[in-house]
Amino acid sequence: MAPVLQVKDLHTEFFTDAGVVHAVDGVSFDLQPGETLGIVGESGCGKSVTALSILRLIQKPGRIVSGQILFKGSDIVTMTGEEVREIRGKDIAMIFQDPLSSLNPVLRVGFQIEEAMAAHQDISGKDVLQRAIELLKRVRIPAPESRVKDYPHQFSGGMRQRAMIAMGLANSPSILIADEPTTALDVTVQAQILELLRDLNTELGTSIVLITHNMGVVAGLCSRVLVMYAGRVVEEGPVEQIFKDPQHPYTWSLLRSIPRLDSDRHERLVSIKGIPPDLIKPPAGCRFNPRCQFRIERCKHDDPHLMEVGPDQQAACWVTMRQALKSDGDQRA
Amino acid sequence: METSVPDRVPLLRAEQVVKHFPIRPGVSVKAVDGVSFEIFPGETVGLVGESGCGKSTLGRVITRLLPITSGNVFFEGVDLTKLGAEKMRQYRRQLQMIFQDPYSSLDPRMTVGDIIAEPLVNFGLLDRRGKDKRVQELLRIVGLNPYFNNRYPHEFSGGQRQRIGIARALALQPKLIVADEPISALDVSIQAQIINLMEDLQQQFQLTYLFIAHDLSVVRHISNRVIVMYLGKIVEVADSVEIYRNPRHPYTKALLSAIPIPDPEIQSKRRVVALKGEIPSPVNPPSGCRFHTRCPIAQVPTPCAEVEPPLEDKARDHLAACHFSEKVPAAV
Repeated sequence: MAPVLQVKDLHTEFFTDAGVVHAVDGVSFDLQPGETLGIVGESGCGKSVTALSILRLIQKPGRIVSGQILFKGSDIVTMTGEEVREIRGKDIAMIFQDPLSSLNPVLRVGFQIEEAMAAHQDISGKDVLQRAIELLKRVRIPAPESRVKDYPHQFSGGMRQRAMIAMGLANSPSILIADEPTTALDVTVQAQILELLRDLNTELGTSIVLITHNMGVVAGLCSRVLVMYAGRVVEEGPVEQIFKDPQHPYTWSLLRSIPRLDSDRHERLVSIKGIPPDLIKPPAGCRFNPRCQFRIERCKHDDPHLMEVGPDQQAACWVTMRQALKSDGDQRA
Repeated sequence: METSVPDRVPLLRAEQVVKHFPIRPGVSVKAVDGVSFEIFPGETVGLVGESGCGKSTLGRVITRLLPITSGNVFFEGVDLTKLGAEKMRQYRRQLQMIFQDPYSSLDPRMTVGDIIAEPLVNFGLLDRRGKDKRVQELLRIVGLNPYFNNRYPHEFSGGQRQRIGIARALALQPKLIVADEPISALDVSIQAQIINLMEDLQQQFQLTYLFIAHDLSVVRHISNRVIVMYLGKIVEVADSVEIYRNPRHPYTKALLSAIPIPDPEIQSKRRVVALKGEIPSPVNPPSGCRFHTRCPIAQVPTPCAEVEPPLEDKARDHLAACHFSEKVPAAV
């Protein structure tokens, strides 16, 4: 199947007084129709900037410097503003972390959903209202007929995020980008929102790009995952594969740095020493090398690119965990 | 686990702690509404619950950062709620706090050295030279360069700032540290650094922790015992292994089921226990069991909507406040 979205060697940079921040530095990936793709990484790794770049929402002093973003064959990077507006909210919709600040506090929730439809569709009056109610029902807001007239402050956090999703779905987009959609929510509410996204994906076939720092959220929702570090994709593959057999030391450490709910023994957490690098002057060689416990000499000067490390799995690492753990075992033996 | 040595003396004992915030005459937010628990020397007690359950308020009431509405808090047998300001100030040496936000909990205009030394100065403990030495020692203990004492908070990352906050809490060699969401503002790779540091410090200085957080997997990891709160009440108290294997309150069960496990194979087999509706307002909490409006196993009206279930022993060292705790399914 042809991918619905292809990102090719994307570079997005921010031109600040302190220097050029290489926020996204050569990111490439394909999104298949109906796929749920997770992009994980810590703050500043470039995951949100990648998402914003897809919709051309990068603001000054930032700019997409090079690369292609092909949506159904046409390049979003080179489109005119008018052409991008056609796609934005219609074919590709986005929801954000904080639903309270993404909703306009002085407009009724229903009106805001109707607005999203009116921007792209030629429907009016009663139909719009009916459709807004349907959408609220679809995202499982109770009593949608009366709720459609509420203002955002009358909604709870979870309901606001549902309303945002309703707005995102207003024009039946083929891609929904969700940037940390559950980070501001309590776990029980998070579980509900994730379930909703999962159902929308299976029922409507909407492709979902889920951006998150939470590995557990990815495990529950996504079929494929990209792990980002310092503006680069360091590992990519099917979710089962990446969680079972991570090959990049960053992915490996990240999975071992979080306590698991289901672990009975008290194991000391793997902590990744140091802090993520300054993206104005990223380290030479592999960007993770100053923090990597498995690095070899080559990592310090030779920049690794993504290489095949397993079935459909790629990692940008000269060592890879298979080698690292093997030589570890050799030393112990 | 050696949780039940019968005559162990608790370091801290909270009895029927109530904290109401009045909003207008006759109306108040019942943030903490009759909570009792004990913390024994050397243990880590985790306090979990979702936003608005009263966990942070409880942390602030037992350290007397907030005045108590009613109830008692005994620290080594002394009722802190009865102490005058100066007496209480003396007790603060034993009882320190670490805060969530490493940005707003450090004064941006003070050097790191002055921030860490402030408690020492406050109690007139050391002269200038002794103070500098102690600050450098504390910086080393928390894993920072001891010569950073002349720098300002903005020069540090979030994780480093949290280390500074920990150094400040350690300055007076306290017995109990109340840590309120100490890692939730930090990046994943940094969280493990702080958790490991707190574990090491506990060993090194025989500290007792009350670890307040919303993340039950983190709380289980660091704690010996876990207290679960819902809408101003304790619903369950148990050993941290036991609470996962065998939750006795339906809210705990729902909370456990909602936490994603970073393993796609396991995660795909788990079922989330759906809770009905939204969390009720703490201004006017539901009658009987406060959880009954959302509980999947509640029998309404009686007894759940009418009789408040007492927090009582359901198994050895395992307390829960539920009329039907035997009906809570075990494995997650």
